[in-house]
Amino acid sequence: MKSPYKILEVTEQASDSDIKQAYLQKVKLNPPDRDHEKFQQIHSAYETIKNATSREKYALFNYPEADFDALLDQAFIASQPILLSADHFDKLLHASIDDNTFLIDYPKKTRT
Amino acid sequence: MKKKTISTPKSSVSDISVLENQALSKLNSGQYKDAIDLYKALLKQANNAEWRHALAQCYLQRALAFAAKGMVKEALVLWENYAQNAEPPHEAFDHYISWLLQTNDMAKVKTCLGQLSAQQLDEQYPELAGLLGLLIITGKISCLELLPKDSVFMAHLVIVQEALSAFRNNKLEDIEPTLKKLPFRSAFRDFRTLMKATLLVHESVEQAQALIAKIPAASPYRQAGALLNAITHDGAALVNDLFQLTPPRIKIIEAIKNYNKKQIELLDVLIKQQNRLSDKLKFNLAIQYQTLLGADLVQPYCLAALSTYSAGQRDFIKHFGAINDFEEWRLKALKCERDGDFYDAEYYWKQGISVLKTRGAEGAFKIALIMRHIATHQKSPEEVITWLIDSLYADPDDRESYVKILQYYERQEQETDAYKEWLDKSIKKFPIDIEILSLAIKASVRNKAFKKATQYTQALLKIDPVNTFAKQVLFTSHLAHARKLIKSKNFHLVEKEIQQAEKITLGKRYQAQAQLMRGFFVFVGEDKKQGEQLITEALQKTNDGVFNAQFCVIMEALLLNVPIAPLLKIVPPLATDYLLSQQEIVRLTQQIQQYADDDSANQTYLHKALEKVKAIIKQSLKQITSEETLLTLCQCLDRINHFELLRVCVKIALSQWDKPIWKYYRVYSEANGNPTKCSDINSYRLQESLKIAQEQKDQRATALIGKFLDEYYKSRKSSVFNIFDSLFGGNDDDEDDDPIDELFGHLPDDLFDQLERKTVEITKKTPPERMLKLLAADYFSNNVNKMFDLINDDPEAFFAFLMLKAADDLGIDIGVTSEMIVKCFKGQKATSTPKPFPFF
Repeated sequence: MKSPYKILEVTEQASDSDIKQAYLQKVKLNPPDRDHEKFQQIHSAYETIKNATSREKYALFNYPEADFDALLDQAFIASQPILLSADHFDKLLHASIDDNTFLIDYPKKTRT
Repeated sequence: MKKKTISTPKSSVSDISVLENQALSKLNSGQYKDAIDLYKALLKQANNAEWRHALAQCYLQRALAFAAKGMVKEALVLWENYAQNAEPPHEAFDHYISWLLQTNDMAKVKTCLGQLSAQQLDEQYPELAGLLGLLIITGKISCLELLPKDSVFMAHLVIVQEALSAFRNNKLEDIEPTLKKLPFRSAFRDFRTLMKATLLVHESVEQAQALIAKIPAASPYRQAGALLNAITHDGAALVNDLFQLTPPRIKIIEAIKNYNKKQIELLDVLIKQQNRLSDKLKFNLAIQYQTLLGADLVQPYCLAALSTYSAGQRDFIKHFGAINDFEEWRLKALKCERDGDFYDAEYYWKQGISVLKTRGAEGAFKIALIMRHIATHQKSPEEVITWLIDSLYADPDDRESYVKILQYYERQEQETDAYKEWLDKSIKKFPIDIEILSLAIKASVRNKAFKKATQYTQALLKIDPVNTFAKQVLFTSHLAHARKLIKSKNFHLVEKEIQQAEKITLGKRYQAQAQLMRGFFVFVGEDKKQGEQLITEALQKTNDGVFNAQFCVIMEALLLNVPIAPLLKIVPPLATDYLLSQQEIVRLTQQIQQYADDDSANQTYLHKALEKVKAIIKQSLKQITSEETLLTLCQCLDRINHFELLRVCVKIALSQWDKPIWKYYRVYSEANGNPTKCSDINSYRLQESLKIAQEQKDQRATALIGKFLDEYYKSRKSSVFNIFDSLFGGNDDDEDDDPIDELFGHLPDDLFDQLERKTVEITKKTPPERMLKLLAADYFSNNVNKMFDLINDDPEAFFAFLMLKAADDLGIDIGVTSEMIVKCFKGQKATSTPKPFPFF
């Protein structure tokens, strides 16, 4: 599960006003009538870290989750957007076909 | 397995007809294998075109069925059998070519492609055209010279090659206009989508992904789309994608993503494990690839991972240093809480608090938060309040804690000094807090401290000028004070009090009530005639009917401690057969509630007043048809404990509505509101009603019945215990006498076990005599004899000291000292007297 800091995209050192600003910005992009669940998530994140006391409470009583995926996100993050060349495109097309049978190997169902 | 044969009768016209029917039946029921045998037999008799056509259809259907199962080679043979028996044009020719491509039979592929017409390629075989397009542009097959030159396919292929050429020559602006030339129905439609998505990856990953999602699942470009989609992903999502791919494809993506050696190395490890990563492996990978995974993330990750991989502790300390004391207790407490073990969690929190006590103001604030957190997990309200009160010593500014403490005391039946003390403290701390002021007002009214109530109400109205509650309280307070002044004959102050009540803007009814009070004041203290006049006018204004006017006069006479009869003369008399309308009953209920709100001591006066009019009420209730009216009256009568009228209401209600709430009120009123007086049969009835109330989601009835039954069970339980106590002389507290339990009972189970293991370890290493000396040196200033005496009296004392030593050796503060052990065992000796045998 994402931390409230990640949901609001603020650092752990952010001030009350920074957090409020980030919250309002997020609510503007995700109003409750568009995606209520997302809005609830944003609102709940804000309530969790909105002031020094709530942040202290979060730091004290939030059980640190061993989120290995968060580490992988850090390890395999793109520093800049990829610019695909014609060569890359050719390689992708070639790789999609099995050489021996010309059988298109349709992708397996991926984990959600 | 022996091949199943179908018997073929000798040729005669009737036999052939039977055989033909059998074959047709098999064909129609989808049993193509049997149908093939029968048609073959028939064709031996005569070369019938219809039979041959049927035979061909059987071969075709079997070919398609095999292909669907992935048995392409078998499908090819069967399709060829079909072609031998069917006239051209042949069905599923495109499938046949696809199967040939899959078996890499290029000679036959080329022959077949040479037979394709433009119409077939462009209109009849879109799937084959799509596949051929991909194979041609990737150079997997070379067959351009075989395809019909006049086909749209060929024209579109030229466009595609133009687009590819523009891409290769980095003329990106030419690609879009070129691709636009491809119509929607083109064999290269999905190629166009894929290429557009490829060009968009750099600008907008989301848009590229949206385009990729448009490529149909059966499209030959779907796999290329999946590869491109993986490229748009990063982090865990990408790793998840790679789990589904073959090594060569993974290599291509790694190259496109431009991963470094370390990243590729980590990916290899992850992919080899195929998403079956153990906690140990994840922990070790986190430590091994610290630089890549981010040192700031790895440390908290490893710390959290220790809860499921405790063996990693040594590595953790090696890489990140020792975990600080508080953090260790905090994690243990949180782990217990996660497992629902709040008892042990509390122990660890307390240890954490001990550490924080050395950390000044920052520590104090954390202590307060922890105490409030512990309070939330307490079962009894008393424990909650104790924790909250303690928390305020560490952080005295938490408003929520003050409010919770006040609310707790407010709910108590008897007002305590503690409540007054906390109210004073809270008001001093938060003088303009609406909630705290409201609580203070309620308490003052309850204590008839009208001056204080007025003072708090005025303060509240300054902050919230439209607060109706405050206005009502202030109004009631003025009238109650006016009554008090009339009773004490301080008539000169009454008018001022009434005028202050009149100044409060609450509505006409309140104005009339103030005037009514003036009438009573004038009647009692000044001029009876003028008083009568004022009372009559005020009662007319309230317009509640004669009955309610009489009830009001009776109540006021009782409250003012003046004779009722002279006042009653002012109101018109009631006929003996007078019946209250529904509206009058509603108003009567409101009056009772209002008097009950004013002052809890009014209950006696209310009972007296109702006594005088109850005959009319009882008669009137019989005609009530509104359940809500009756229920509100019942709640009101319950509040003032008037069970006689409550029983009448219930009887009338149950004859009309068979509902759990009414069954509850029947039992409740029969027991006069006292669960201990409830009979067993009534308790069973209530259990049934509770079930029904829960099924009907009647929360009000569920709560009332649940509370009543709880109290009933408690009373039964205590009476059962009392019987046993009297039988066995009250010796049921033997368990509490166990000194080990008394000394170490507060420790969590796992800590107790840890210490016990350590005692075994210590005693194995050291012989008993030496151990005694060691313990005496540590805890008895080397006085071995004293130590020996204690152990001689109770050998368990030795175990207690061993536990203490174990804790000291491990550096754990368990809150037990040698003095406590001595005291506990000596006290034990002093109180241990021979216990009497039961019944003697």
